[in-house]
Amino acid sequence: MQTDLHLFAAAILLPLAGAVVAGLGGRLMGDTLAKAVTLLCMGAATVCGIGALWGGWTSGFGPYAVPLADWVNAGGFHATWTLRFDTLSVTMSAMVLCVSLLVHCYSVGYMSHETMPVYRFFAYLSLFTFAMLMLVSSSDLIQLFFGWEGVGLASYLLIGYWYDRPAATAAAIKAFVVNRVADLFFIVGIGLIYVLFHSVRYDEIFAAVPQAAGAFYTLFGHSFPMLEVICFLLFIGAMGKSAQLFLHTWLPDAMEGPTPVSALIHAATMVTAGVFLMARMSPLLEVAPNTRLFIIFIGATTCFFAATVGMVQPDIKRTIAYSTCSQLGYMFAAVGVGAYQVAIFHLTTHAFFKALLFLGAGSVIHAMHDEQNMFRMGGLWKKLPLTYGVMWIGSLALAGVFPFAGYWSKDAILNALWAADGRMSHYAWMLGVITAFLTAFYSWRLLFLVFHRAPADVQKRDAAHESPLFMSVPLVLLAIGAVVSGLVLAPYYIGAQQSAFWQGSIFNAPGNTIMETFEQVPGVVALLPSLVALVGIALAFLFYIASPGLPEALARSCGPVYRFLLNKWYFDELYEHIFVKPYAAIARFLWKDGEEGAVEGLPRDLVRATASGAVDAVRLQTGSIALYAFTMLAGLVVVLTVALCG
Amino acid sequence: MTPAIAPIGLGSYLVVSAALLVLGVLGIFLNRKNIIIILMSMELILLAANLNFVAFSSAHADLSGQVMVLFVLTIAAAEAAIGLAIVTVYFRNRGSIQVEDVTMMKG
Amino acid sequence: MNAMSVNWILALPEITLALAGLVILVFGVLQRPGKGIGACTVLSIAAFVGCAVLVALSPDGAAYAGTFVNDSFARFMKILVLLGGLVALLLTVSYRTDERAPLPFETAVLILFSTVGAMIMASSANLMTLFVGLELSSLSIYILAALERDDVLSSEAGLKYFVLGSLASGLLLYGMSLVYGYAGTMEYSGLIAAIQQTTALPVGLMVGLVFLVVGLCFKLSVVPFHMWTPDVYQGAPTPVTAYMAGAPKFATFALLLRVMSGPFGAMAPRWQILIETLSILSMVYGALAAIPQTNIKRLMAYSSIGHMGYALMGLAAASTNGVRATLVYLAAYLVMNAGVFAVITAMRRKGREVTSLADLSGLGRTDPGLAAALAVFMFSMVGAPPLAGFFGKLMVFAAAWQSGLYVLVGIGALSSVIGAYYYLRVVKVMYFDASAERLDQPARSLVFVSGSMGLATVFFVLALGPLMALARQAALALGG
Repeated sequence: MQTDLHLFAAAILLPLAGAVVAGLGGRLMGDTLAKAVTLLCMGAATVCGIGALWGGWTSGFGPYAVPLADWVNAGGFHATWTLRFDTLSVTMSAMVLCVSLLVHCYSVGYMSHETMPVYRFFAYLSLFTFAMLMLVSSSDLIQLFFGWEGVGLASYLLIGYWYDRPAATAAAIKAFVVNRVADLFFIVGIGLIYVLFHSVRYDEIFAAVPQAAGAFYTLFGHSFPMLEVICFLLFIGAMGKSAQLFLHTWLPDAMEGPTPVSALIHAATMVTAGVFLMARMSPLLEVAPNTRLFIIFIGATTCFFAATVGMVQPDIKRTIAYSTCSQLGYMFAAVGVGAYQVAIFHLTTHAFFKALLFLGAGSVIHAMHDEQNMFRMGGLWKKLPLTYGVMWIGSLALAGVFPFAGYWSKDAILNALWAADGRMSHYAWMLGVITAFLTAFYSWRLLFLVFHRAPADVQKRDAAHESPLFMSVPLVLLAIGAVVSGLVLAPYYIGAQQSAFWQGSIFNAPGNTIMETFEQVPGVVALLPSLVALVGIALAFLFYIASPGLPEALARSCGPVYRFLLNKWYFDELYEHIFVKPYAAIARFLWKDGEEGAVEGLPRDLVRATASGAVDAVRLQTGSIALYAFTMLAGLVVVLTVALCG
Repeated sequence: MTPAIAPIGLGSYLVVSAALLVLGVLGIFLNRKNIIIILMSMELILLAANLNFVAFSSAHADLSGQVMVLFVLTIAAAEAAIGLAIVTVYFRNRGSIQVEDVTMMKG
Repeated sequence: MNAMSVNWILALPEITLALAGLVILVFGVLQRPGKGIGACTVLSIAAFVGCAVLVALSPDGAAYAGTFVNDSFARFMKILVLLGGLVALLLTVSYRTDERAPLPFETAVLILFSTVGAMIMASSANLMTLFVGLELSSLSIYILAALERDDVLSSEAGLKYFVLGSLASGLLLYGMSLVYGYAGTMEYSGLIAAIQQTTALPVGLMVGLVFLVVGLCFKLSVVPFHMWTPDVYQGAPTPVTAYMAGAPKFATFALLLRVMSGPFGAMAPRWQILIETLSILSMVYGALAAIPQTNIKRLMAYSSIGHMGYALMGLAAASTNGVRATLVYLAAYLVMNAGVFAVITAMRRKGREVTSLADLSGLGRTDPGLAAALAVFMFSMVGAPPLAGFFGKLMVFAAAWQSGLYVLVGIGALSSVIGAYYYLRVVKVMYFDASAERLDQPARSLVFVSGSMGLATVFFVLALGPLMALARQAALALGG
């Protein structure tokens, strides 16, 4: 057992070592060595991580605590740096490590045409991996928040990796700022947890939940159940990180970063941190039913919204990004009905097929020399057979076609939504099914546009070539994952053995029987998602292969709807008017009038007044004796007056 | 024995001396012509003070005021000598002793 | 003590110095024209040193029917006066380095007589002594200012100083006559008695007092009686300017402090507002008008106007602490002012004196030593710790604060900030501007004066303890 814990700690610390060595020494050691170091560290870490998983599998997942160091010890507050070894953290770590290793490997090929040194890129990737591992392996909320902010930082650095592109830096800042908004709620939530439980450690919090159920929080004269407030705040934090509706705007823009980054951070791992947080906090969420209703609502709505927008995007990466957003919505909907295991299951399968899709898209972009507009591609399937194949697999998995990974997890979610049998969950189920249709449609729209349609630029098509080995190996491995992960993992994650597998690391309240009942749905309900997916594929075929003029005609006839979707429901414009412009106006006011006008202007005016006063003062000095004498006498009179009257 | 003429009060002396002072002062800063006039005006001011000293000395029956006058007269003589010497030097350099010409330095 | 007794011992320093002056005058006259100047200067320096020793040894007491008083306050001021005169003498030594005729041997003699006058002022206990001392000092300076007989600026400076100075003396004298008339006596002690007898002060006495203060303020170049200062400072030969900025100011301050805290000490609430106003005017005007100046001697004129404003703060405080603060301030001012003028005297190119601020450009590279010294003086004048000027300012500010003159302290701090601009501009010109043509190698005497004053400025803090003890003793002797 001890070996597993050591392996686990090594798995988490090795990426940090890689990041430090490559980041600080990269300039000296050069790119090749830096790549080798990070890749080696990641490889070793992945082996350790899988070893830990195997160890846990064979001898039980604990939970165990792996103390690393003392961190904060101030007064009554004590936080240690301790890793938590349980099913959730170990499986998440293994998943993160696998995807990260593949992305590292892929990046070696993808970043080979960069003109600037890329050691920085690899250091950031490893740093991100470390932060993500810290997040999932945390044993208290402070540590979780450290990881949470660490991945935010790495995300910011990597989105803005090409810092000479204004769009990239703007996207990086946007991601950072939107996440700060959400994190404010998150940390207030953590604060409230400390207020309520006098601890930030999971064990102590979860143990004390029953006693805290009756606590109330009074705000503006209203009284709210304390736990509902806490869960609500934590969920808003999760919304920011996981790009749920209203806080989603940063995710499509984050596609300005290099594609491996999008695959790792903005598809497989970081954006799922919100879902992980919800699963981790399941003992709290179980006693906050109203918040969970809200979570279902947001999740389902995001799911539908992102899919509609994804249908019309011309940019290959943005299409997949909206797809990610949409799939995260599914996961939250599952969390909302209490099926946390299902959410984590979808999270895991999604990590494989979405990373696959992104890396495939990266392969296309790489082949097309940084072209991202799908309408300027076309006819690539002969030139990129491997990419074509894996993109098909990814799309099938995403659309939820039997027996690919997505089928298992997505169907489970939709069944759970139906089985939960509430008004909100039925709403979610309805949107989920529609989204399944939309998902299939936009996935095959992508496939057809990129690989089948008549090439927009024949020369560019002909110049395209399949990616090097460094890139194709991860693609193949991920494709395997996208095919089999659902089938293999389903029994453990959500099936009959789930409670033995999770060993209490995900909590279902005694009254929450969703994990037992979600399979028991009418046959037509279970089949519907697969059916609509096939319809979606057929529609895409009709639109983009059979009669290519149709989409355009439709877009023209439904102009307002099309523009509404194309402009992403006008969220960016709305925020621009509600937040950005007033904020910019306030900032401009403070800058121009407050800072330059008053803070700087006052001294400047004073200086000007002093200078002109000096000139005037000197002008009195005319050199004339008569005037001098007169001044003296005038002074005498004044002094006399003051002395006699004062 | 009654005095041939009625004694003049202290106030009269003071008024005369104040008038002398004002004349002297006005002579200094209203005069735009000649520096010599300024020298003369200064003597007027000193004499106004002297008149005061003598008058007060007499009124207080205290001799020190008159002693002071002797000192002042001596000093006034020295001052006039120095003043004239400086004016001479100035005239040699500048070729003029007009008051409005004494404005080489200003600002 | 017999008031009528003639106590020669008390006035021994003055008598010695005056006699020495006469001897040197005779000696100088007996030489052939243009010869023996160095000897006269050296003899004068010796006389100063000897006199300073005598001052330090002189006992307390009153002499000459109470018209002359010697106490620790008088001794403190006399030492300052003598040091000021001594520095000016040292600056004359190598003043002329071109082909023109050197400053005549009378320079040293006149400085010496002026110093005698200043010392008498510091010891005066009677309006008569006050006037005689003042005039002896002033008349000598009139001549000194016009000493460059072939220079139109110098003679204009002499003329202006003479005319305005005489006007001031006339007003002073008229004020004295009124004070005499309404108090019936010229002795300070008598004045005190007369004032304490009456409950309501006669208007005539008040008017006389104002005239008296105005006359003294003229000597101090306090705004609005300062108008002569920039022109005279600029036109007069630099050692004379150095002298004018030093010794007479100390002597006048001695008088002002003695008169205001002695005979008129009981009336403090009446004149406090006056002094406060004058102090504010001087500080602000001195700081403002110096900004556009391009001639460093004019700049120093406005600087000294400002410094007198700060020194007046101590008087405005109307307390023993205030007097002590003023004394320390004057000591600091003596040190840094003498240093600055030593540097200005050293500013010559091909033997000719240059006084433009631009001539200092790049001095930090061409003559690092001189530039460092000047920079130290400038920082000290700004009031940067731990230099001499800082302690002076600190003490007057503290004294004014203790007396509740918060507005005065506030304005003083503000004008310090403005003043920092032009002081530091000098530093900037020396170190950051493109180098002007190299200045001549400064004479050894100037190096000595600027160097020693620079050291004194930097290490002022070491002498602060004893100095403050002396100043406190002096202030106590005065206030009683």
